Amino acid sequence: MDDPLIVVVLLLVAAAATAAVAVRDPVRQALVLAVLGVCLALLFTVTQAPDVGLSQLAVGSAVTPLLIMLSVRKVRRRQQDGKEKER
Amino acid sequence: MNGWTWTATIALGVGVGAAVWGVVTGPLRRRVVAQNLSSALAAPGLLLLAQGYGRPAYVDLALLLALLGPVGTLVFARLLADDLAGDPPRAWAVTLAVAGYGAVVVLVLCAVTGPGRAMVKLLVVGALLIGGNLVASRALSGGFPGSRRG
Repeated sequence: MDDPLIVVVLLLVAAAATAAVAVRDPVRQALVLAVLGVCLALLFTVTQAPDVGLSQLAVGSAVTPLLIMLSVRKVRRRQQDGKEKER
Repeated sequence: MNGWTWTATIALGVGVGAAVWGVVTGPLRRRVVAQNLSSALAAPGLLLLAQGYGRPAYVDLALLLALLGPVGTLVFARLLADDLAGDPPRAWAVTLAVAGYGAVVVLVLCAVTGPGRAMVKLLVVGALLIGGNLVASRALSGGFPGSRRG
């Protein structure tokens, strides 16, 4: 009965998920992943699963980007330290 | 489908679609702005869906998104501060337009709901949405210099 809405949100999820795979830089990937989390929460809501949408929002919009960005930062620092030691 | 869900379909398709397009293409400063605005564009859509389905409990989703969306953006603003310092994002026109869109949706829904607890909840969602979005935008454009240390 809500077919157009579900189709629109499915298309959004497909576009965001494809982009999350296609983008190569981890920082930009984390940004796309945050938007993908919001799109997935919308998909769960329009398919009448708001409880799943709530947990997806909590994890996808704040925790996953934080984990990825902290890892990127740590890796970058280690690379910088390595370059300084080579000099 | 009723008028509310049709409006939500168009609003989500155009708004979140634009956010996805913005976050996929362009320089880093445009991507962080699009990520920031994605939560401000999705939350009014969730409010419209709650009204369209006739289930006030769905407002909780928009409340959580309005609360956690800016938190996610602040994570990026904090950890990308060095990358964004040389090329800070300036998109006040878009940010204010999206904030105005959220305010319009919240006010229309308040007018439909009528006075009561539900209306207070809607107003809280709207205030969190607009306030959090403006704070996150300011943080992205380097508005809080003290937070750069560490």
